[in-house]
Amino acid sequence: MKENSKRSRYWSRFTTVIAIVAMAVVLLPIFLNDTSWPIEARDYLAHSGTEESGAINLVSAIYLGYRVFDTFGETIVLLVAVLGTMGMLSRVESLVDTSLEEEHTIGSVSGFSLTNEKRRSHALRTHLLEVVTGKIGPIVLLFGFYVMLYGHVSPGGGFQGGVIIASGIVFLALGNPQEGSSGISNPELLVRLESAAFLTLILVFFSGLLIGNGFFGNPLAHTQIPVGYIVILNAVIGMKVGTSLGFMCIAMMGGGS
Amino acid sequence: MIERALLFTLFLIGFYGIVGKKHIIKKIFGLNILNNAAVILFILEGSRIGTDAPIMDGQASAIVDPVPQALMLTAIVIGVCITALSLALAVHLYRVSGSFDIDTIRMRIQDEA
Repeated sequence: MKENSKRSRYWSRFTTVIAIVAMAVVLLPIFLNDTSWPIEARDYLAHSGTEESGAINLVSAIYLGYRVFDTFGETIVLLVAVLGTMGMLSRVESLVDTSLEEEHTIGSVSGFSLTNEKRRSHALRTHLLEVVTGKIGPIVLLFGFYVMLYGHVSPGGGFQGGVIIASGIVFLALGNPQEGSSGISNPELLVRLESAAFLTLILVFFSGLLIGNGFFGNPLAHTQIPVGYIVILNAVIGMKVGTSLGFMCIAMMGGGS
Repeated sequence: MIERALLFTLFLIGFYGIVGKKHIIKKIFGLNILNNAAVILFILEGSRIGTDAPIMDGQASAIVDPVPQALMLTAIVIGVCITALSLALAVHLYRVSGSFDIDTIRMRIQDEA
């Protein structure tokens, strides 16, 4: 019996090595290729990208101008991921008695907090974490809004700013001295904000129809400020990403139920 | 050249994490490392034809290709979604079987069935 399990362990290691070598052989040409990168797209964008979309940052000109359909699909994928995560986290019943757990369990981690910690949701937090995240949270939120709203002139944009906003929300939830959640880390509020942001996103995409530019068309294309469309989209996408990721993190921390 | 070799190693480390490790959370770590290696490879390829960031503030002369950067933005968001979904799956499996180890999970689910 023991000999058998030893042999199967060697066999599994052997197959792992085979798999890695096969992967390496397949991938080496991709990593080592030195065909020259095409420059036509770069030259075209450098020449007329800012003119056509109004954005100084060409990356946001692409993902909110030329390839906005991609971005729409991306937000839908994010929505589906949030739905799937929440669906899986919310209704699970244990088949096995949870007292079975031995190794690899969360329960075996001892609490970090002081011994007289009474708040159950804070059992795995130190006081240092609580104080630092509570103080730094609003600053992170402010920085997130900056990255989100200045995405058209500097590195950044809706997705990046949204992720920073989500970190700010998580910081505020971690630094919350009360048990449970309150204020901006309240899951109810986050879900409402997310739905409102997604609805606004779809309405903004439809707004091009009003002046005959079609779905995804820029309604401000012929005005003085064509970049306004990108700023609005950045803001809406930032709200959507920030609230959905923040909601997902808070739900994983155990505050979603 | 050295950066390509390092990226290749990073990719293989991620792949080893997926196929070689038994712990589900370590597999998810491996998936993330692999995803990041692919993202950095695209950024590296796009940066071969220029030196400046693609921000046209009047001083940029030879900008890098912004197309792979915009595409990798999508890839990063999809990576986050995959991570969240797989972590939720891991939590689900843990609640059902009481373990993160794939062999133990398989054994306990077979015992249940």
